[in-house]
Amino acid sequence: MSAGHEAKISAAGVSVFYGEKQALFDVSIDIPARQVMAFIGPSGCGKSTFLRCINRMNDTIDICRVTGTIAIDGADIYDPKIDPVLLRARVGMVFQKPNPFPKSIYDNIAYGPRIHGVAKAGSQMDEIVETSLRRAGLWNEVKDRLREPGTGLSGGQQQRLCIARAIAVNPDVILMDEPCSALDPIATAKVEELIDELRERYTIVIVTHSMQQAARVSQKAAFFHLGNLIEVDDTERMFTNPRDQRTQDYITGRFG
Amino acid sequence: MSDTTHGPDRKERNAWFEADARLKRRHLADKRLRAYGIAAIVFALGMLATLVGTILITAAPAVTQTMVTFEVEVPEGSVDPANPSGGSYQTMLNASIARIFPDVDTPRELRELRQLFSNGGQYQLRDKILADPSLIGKTVSISFPMSDIGDQLHKGVIDRNLPPDFRRVNDTQIAWYDVLVERGQISSPLNWGLLFNADSRFPELAGLRGALVGSFFALLVCFLVSFPVGIAAAVYLEEFAPKNRLTDLIEVNINNLAAVPSIVFGLLGLAVFLNFFGMPRSAPIVGGLVLSLMTLPTIIIATRAALKAVPPSIREAAIGVGASKMQTVGHHVLPLAMPGILTGTIIGLAQALGETAPLLLIGMNAFITAAPDSMFNPSTALPTQIYIWADSPERGFTSRTSAAIIVLLGFLVCMNAIAIYMRKRFERRW
Ligand SMILES: Nc1ncnc2c1ncn2[C@@H]1O[C@H](COP(=O)(O)OP(=O)(O)O)[C@@H](O)[C@H]1O
Ligand SMILES: [Mg+2]
Repeated sequence: MSAGHEAKISAAGVSVFYGEKQALFDVSIDIPARQVMAFIGPSGCGKSTFLRCINRMNDTIDICRVTGTIAIDGADIYDPKIDPVLLRARVGMVFQKPNPFPKSIYDNIAYGPRIHGVAKAGSQMDEIVETSLRRAGLWNEVKDRLREPGTGLSGGQQQRLCIARAIAVNPDVILMDEPCSALDPIATAKVEELIDELRERYTIVIVTHSMQQAARVSQKAAFFHLGNLIEVDDTERMFTNPRDQRTQDYITGRFG
Repeated sequence: MSDTTHGPDRKERNAWFEADARLKRRHLADKRLRAYGIAAIVFALGMLATLVGTILITAAPAVTQTMVTFEVEVPEGSVDPANPSGGSYQTMLNASIARIFPDVDTPRELRELRQLFSNGGQYQLRDKILADPSLIGKTVSISFPMSDIGDQLHKGVIDRNLPPDFRRVNDTQIAWYDVLVERGQISSPLNWGLLFNADSRFPELAGLRGALVGSFFALLVCFLVSFPVGIAAAVYLEEFAPKNRLTDLIEVNINNLAAVPSIVFGLLGLAVFLNFFGMPRSAPIVGGLVLSLMTLPTIIIATRAALKAVPPSIREAAIGVGASKMQTVGHHVLPLAMPGILTGTIIGLAQALGETAPLLLIGMNAFITAAPDSMFNPSTALPTQIYIWADSPERGFTSRTSAAIIVLLGFLVCMNAIAIYMRKRFERRW
């Protein structure tokens, strides 16, 4: 299944330090384009830390230091010439807790395109808003109340609004850090369905602590343990036939 | 459990009862503590009620001002229509007073009679003619304040039953006053002059206009300086500054600055703004600058607290879609923190409004009979005006001082009410 896909993101020897403490040890991984890659592992093992390296979100943490290289489409994103602000437009992020801006639904979506100068206000912006909401499967639910606050939506709708907000700046990659952990099962199912559709256009990396979710949405999986990347494989293969004992223990529920 | 046969056995029940005795003691202690608390609150409220009550009672006479009305003839030819301000209005007024009291002719009696009235009458007559020159040649009705003693007599503050040596009006003056009352020329309308007149040596003419305008200008300057500077400082410290020794030191110092006695700021203002920069003495601009020094720490602290209260998830969201740090703060964090910032600002300004000591040091307690036209003219402020009036010997100033305190308290209560309203209105949950 993975054979035909070139690597979209390729990390080599990535280590991350929070002050003195090392949180990630020499991680090397290739993430294929237009697939869903799931990061799994017990909590505190560095999944979020690694995910946040991919859009340089860690830059905002003073004490955080990253070594090694991460390349997207062959370009090193930690190159001093790269502007993290532009990088984050290409690599969108969806967070654990839905965090829409306390503004209208419309403005939530329009904010990114506006600051990046992608579109001026007007029909062009209306179009971006509509497309983004359609792709996030939210259009039919909110098209009559675009001027109402995004914070007034249900949790699941808020999370899909956040996905639409990320889509609006036209990224290549979407990072999701446990996007369903604050949602009820029905909302979770909707978001998972959405992730499956988004795979057509975007490279998606999702952190999840739910084995079932990883199995449902991802084609590839990476298992982290205590800051180390233990194994990467097709999700199906990893879940049926893990190579490492620790992966096996985690999947069968011995720890985590 | 109420059924004894199925309850716990006897021994256990005894244990329960013992515990019950201890419990009773504990409840008793609780009750005592509550009683202490209530007593403390009642005491505090009592003090407050006494304070406000005293001020209100003292201020009550200042609510009205005794006025006297005269019909004044303005003879044709007495005033030059081309230059109406040059007319001798006091003479015309005296003439109409003399018509009512034709027997009063000795200089001494005339003086005593005029002591009953303020000297505001001629100016009012002049202003009326100035406003409408067609009144020349007609009879003009003017109504102007009685003098302090006339006012006090009317309000019963001066007891006419006392022997003449113990009161400030003599029997003839009382008789004249009674004639005027009988003729219906005495009235006591609401004392709008208290708000709209400028300061005066004569309590019946003195008002808070200069102080209100001065306080307004001073607060305006204070706001214009401390609000942007305070926000900029707080945003830098909270959002951009690296966390190191230096910023820690700055933080500690800002917190300490908020606790510096206000008179010290006054000394600083005197030394820096007046002596070094040579800015005008007694001017609201200097007052405002000094007050802004005091308000700054309050605003910085409030702004930092408000910025801290904006959840990190909002910052992450903005940064996640590619907003720069500046955009994140400017578009999201600061607007969300604004209600908290404004609340803190209003509270800081309310403090500044009541501040007296620093203004005394820069001379805003001068005697100034005209409201300032700009923030560069000498002026008083509300608290310093209260200070001046409290120091004045005339009886009329006693009630006016209290009335001025009420005006000041009114403004403070309003400002704090706005702050509370904003806090409630914009309180947000994320
Ligand atoms: N901002 C931070 N400052 C210091 N340590 C951190 C920070 N964020 C994460 N860590 C540490 O890094 C390790 C990995 O955390 P994280 O990546 O959040 O794990 P996961 O997402 O897999 O649960 C943990 O030990 C955590 O304590
Ligand atoms: Mg995590």
